[in-house]
Amino acid sequence: MSDPIYTEIIIDEARHPQNEGTLENPDISQHDSNPMCGDSITLQMNVTDDSINDIKWSGEGCTICKACTSVLTQLIKGKNIDFAKNMKKEEILSELGLEYLAKQSPVRIKCALLSMKALKLGLYSYLAKKLAGSLSLDNLKEDAANLY
Amino acid sequence: MQSTELSIENIRKDFPILKRKVRDNKPLVYLDNASTTQKPKQVIDALTNYYSNYNANIHRSVYSIAEEATEAYEKVRDKVAKFLNISKREEIIFVRGTTEGINLVAYAWGRKYIKEGDIIVTTEYEHHSNIVPWQLLVKEKGAKLEYIEINDNGELILDQLDKYLATGKVKLVVFSLMSNVLGTISDAEKIISKCHEAGVKTLVDAAQAVPHMSVDVAKLGCDFFAFSAHKMLGPTGIGVLWVRKSVLETMDPFHGGGDMIREVHKYETTWNDLPYKFEAGTPNIADVIGFGSAIDYLSQLGMETVRKHEMELTQYALDKMSQIKGIVIYGPKDVSKRGGVISFNFHDVHPHDVATIIDREGIAIRSGHHCAQVLMEKLDVAATNRASFYIYNTKQDVDKLIQSLEKVSELFKL
Ligand SMILES: Cc1ncc(COP(=O)(O)O)c(C=O)c1O
Repeated sequence: MSDPIYTEIIIDEARHPQNEGTLENPDISQHDSNPMCGDSITLQMNVTDDSINDIKWSGEGCTICKACTSVLTQLIKGKNIDFAKNMKKEEILSELGLEYLAKQSPVRIKCALLSMKALKLGLYSYLAKKLAGSLSLDNLKEDAANLY
Repeated sequence: MQSTELSIENIRKDFPILKRKVRDNKPLVYLDNASTTQKPKQVIDALTNYYSNYNANIHRSVYSIAEEATEAYEKVRDKVAKFLNISKREEIIFVRGTTEGINLVAYAWGRKYIKEGDIIVTTEYEHHSNIVPWQLLVKEKGAKLEYIEINDNGELILDQLDKYLATGKVKLVVFSLMSNVLGTISDAEKIISKCHEAGVKTLVDAAQAVPHMSVDVAKLGCDFFAFSAHKMLGPTGIGVLWVRKSVLETMDPFHGGGDMIREVHKYETTWNDLPYKFEAGTPNIADVIGFGSAIDYLSQLGMETVRKHEMELTQYALDKMSQIKGIVIYGPKDVSKRGGVISFNFHDVHPHDVATIIDREGIAIRSGHHCAQVLMEKLDVAATNRASFYIYNTKQDVDKLIQSLEKVSELFKL
């Protein structure tokens, strides 16, 4: 039996998600939730020399939310802040074969992108504090607001 | 003569949407009636007829169609009164729905009478609409909100009410007559009589009760009572707030504007009579008229018959579902103590995943927190699946729901 959304990759990824947990003294800690469905996650990161050297997530979510969060954290870990900042939603979706999710289920796309929203908002707060007044924040905040 | 059996086949013919196919040509199996119900053609026709033949503003003009519209609108107030055994039609206020009804009470009664240090008591199984307006009010007034908790069976622990009443500080007790998640029917008689003894006012959220069982407002003896038309075959955007006249007379207006006034001068205004004092502006005329048809439809079936059908269906569903491995069902097991709302979780599969997968089979159930996050916290779950029945649902609908869960099992290799 096959299903356009619930592929083995997604179900396995959600069953055994990577980077689940919490960090002791995170440099960035961002919570976000989907009021509609109750997905609720917290993303935590440690940053050294502009590089995200550790990332953990905790919370509750559906299969799509968990799988996407797991993949996101794997893609981000060890990467430069700029990389994370400029990440596009398509990169997460294609990783899990969910390119068409927005079409298949406009409601469920929110589950898929919740962690990315938390990531962008978390980076925004972090950078805003660090670079208060600078222009290098780009469109991070709008980007997060317009994800879905 | 009302029969005591529903002819489901005939009923289904009245609902155009039930002929619809969804997702790859699957017949729609609609099991989200606690959220909103489908509309029979009688209701749809009443709306069309109003707009096509006598659309006019009401309570204002003397020409013929305006009089027709006013009469049709006001007739529905009488239908509501009869349906719920309310003797004074002026106690019936048309509002947007349960939510607006409760907010009206919080604003027009609560802001006047709730003082610092007072207590409002609600319950753990309330819809957000019977929590948030009270949170706003107690914050503004420096009052306090307390909760009657539920036991493992999903029923209110009423001893806790005694404890709060004993403080002498309680001014209002609010509760839903039927939980929209657990289906639990509250012991209203007991709650209200305890409150009477203590001289405390009561508000009943009847959004889930009025559509599914026979309710007698006079016998109930509460002070405030609210429900929504869209959960009982009627249109969206219309509902009723009933307030005991002696209480209503002491309340200030909610909205100011047209229709609610008697005389307006530059700096002074006098109010219109009840209930018009609380119906400011052009009301939702069409939907009130449609609501009237919904009441007619249900009255014809008879609420006892509706309740009987749902109890049978709920018993059938509970029996079948409880045999499924990995299913957890919330709320009372005894169908005489609950309505046709079944919340459940299936293994560790998130309800959103369950709902998406079974949607492919054309089955519509709700997944999420059901606007009852306080209850979700109590049950220690983020969300549940919820199937809820109405007059047009059949045992086959239940069977299809159960079959579709097998697909979830297969995909998730449960
Ligand atoms: C118990 C209960 N109270 C209140 C409401 C709110 O009703 P409405 O959204 O029609 O105002 C609902 C609807 O979901 C409900 O089930």
